[in-house]
Amino acid sequence: METLSLSKRYGKTDALRGLNFTVDQGEIMVILGPNGSGKTTLLMILCTILKPTSGTAKVMGIDVVEEGTKVREVMGIAFQEARGFWRHKPSSILRFHASMFDIDPVNRQDLIESTMKDLELWESRDKKFMHLSGGQAKRLETAKVLVQRPKLAIFDEPTSQVDLRGKRKIWDKIRELRDQGSTVIVATNEVREAEYLADRVTILHQGQLIVRDSIPKLKDAIAGGDVVEVGFEDPVADKLVEELKTLGGSLSLSPESTELRAKVSRAEDWVPKMTSLSYDRGAKISSIKITEPSLDDVFLHFTGKALVDQL
Amino acid sequence: MNRVLNLAAFNIRVLLSDPTWFFLSWALFALQLAIYGSLMSKLVSPNFPNYFFFYGIGLMIIIVFESAEDVGRHFVENAHEGELPYFLSLPVSRGGFLISQALYGVVNTLVKVAPPLLIVLLLWGNLTIVGALFSLLTLFLLGLGITGIMVSLSFIAFKAVDIYLAVLAGLSALLVRFSTVFYPLAFMPSNYSPVSVLSPLTYGADLTRWALGFDPRYLLNPILAAVVVTALAVSTLSLSARIVDKIIEGVKAA
Repeated sequence: METLSLSKRYGKTDALRGLNFTVDQGEIMVILGPNGSGKTTLLMILCTILKPTSGTAKVMGIDVVEEGTKVREVMGIAFQEARGFWRHKPSSILRFHASMFDIDPVNRQDLIESTMKDLELWESRDKKFMHLSGGQAKRLETAKVLVQRPKLAIFDEPTSQVDLRGKRKIWDKIRELRDQGSTVIVATNEVREAEYLADRVTILHQGQLIVRDSIPKLKDAIAGGDVVEVGFEDPVADKLVEELKTLGGSLSLSPESTELRAKVSRAEDWVPKMTSLSYDRGAKISSIKITEPSLDDVFLHFTGKALVDQL
Repeated sequence: MNRVLNLAAFNIRVLLSDPTWFFLSWALFALQLAIYGSLMSKLVSPNFPNYFFFYGIGLMIIIVFESAEDVGRHFVENAHEGELPYFLSLPVSRGGFLISQALYGVVNTLVKVAPPLLIVLLLWGNLTIVGALFSLLTLFLLGLGITGIMVSLSFIAFKAVDIYLAVLAGLSALLVRFSTVFYPLAFMPSNYSPVSVLSPLTYGADLTRWALGFDPRYLLNPILAAVVVTALAVSTLSLSARIVDKIIEGVKAA
């Protein structure tokens, strides 16, 4: 899946501004960004509902504008808002969806039943859509894509309105879908969702791609992002502190000189060197505590704004 | 094509699951005919023979018109209740999607109009298979044409629903009043009749009456009427297909 200089304008508002974006086959790409960052607009263009103002987007090499119907045959989307067929029952909605995507009629009912049971919808199978709770409606939206098992699965904020238990179930099913060979795109503004799901993360801000990489690499890209707190049995000698400073990062020592706080780029590189040097100088370490930056810190680092403030 | 039929069937199942509106429509037809139709028929009988029959067919045209309006409203409701983006994400072409909507409209119209048509045919009409089929075909084409107009206008609703509803109400009033639905062209004042030939309902109503054996002296030329009704269906459906493909987008999200 790739876009090239993709732009979308609503009146005087630029929702997407020259976006170059790729997703590799078989990965879960999480698009992280606050409300209004252009996530949903991007997804709507990819699934051919919106047309770009300029630029191109291709799904499995198929142009979304020129060959929309072909694109729709290989992708499935779970919308941000659960789309209501007020007088239909969940089971009939899923049966209809499966039939539209030519899911094998022999296995269709079993697939629907197992998916509904997995997402705890089976008990509500004969309720009308209008009588479902917000969380149930949202899970039904996810169930459509799970039953369909498309080559490209798109989830727009899949767990908003869903309780914690339900979130975990949906996340596991999305990962299962990836493991079965689907390429998955998830748009979210929830850091925890991104951390749980992402093979790679794309950060969108004001319609532009800010950065795209795996979560460990994004975190490592923050200079001084890892915080290491080292406890020593005895006060640390000034000479050792000076030597530790040569390893990189910024160091500060507690007034008692028994606790060292270091801000480093990659704790996994810095800690072995620090322990080795301390051992050589006879300093005994009593504890080590490592704190990684969160994706919120990553967002703050690259955009200058906290993600939570943007919601 | 299978997916288009599947999509149409999905909507039609919902339509048929609640027959209340059909019963109301049939009851209204019977009531209107029994009271208004019979009284008006007595009033105009010396000058215009068999007005009851004329009026009965006019009422059928109104049912077709209102059913086609329903399709336009259904389309707009789909957009506002969030179903349209889902439909647009399914693997059918935009043209196929429009055909499914039109099929929904046709079933809606035919179910509503079939009992009235049967009553008109049995009581007053020229009951021949050819006449019945031809009148059904006329109603079908007229329904498609009006559906095309209503779906084409639905793009207004994407800007403002209130304006769309006002336009529909105004257009309905004009198209019905300035037509031969309730009175023949020959009896219209000279300043009304030129406007009435602009209404598609004029052609649909007169062609149906001709097919059912009404006195042709009071009707438009059936060939002209058939050409206009067919052209209306083709042109407005093509226009609405273009609008669905080029203008209407399922959702606007930032």
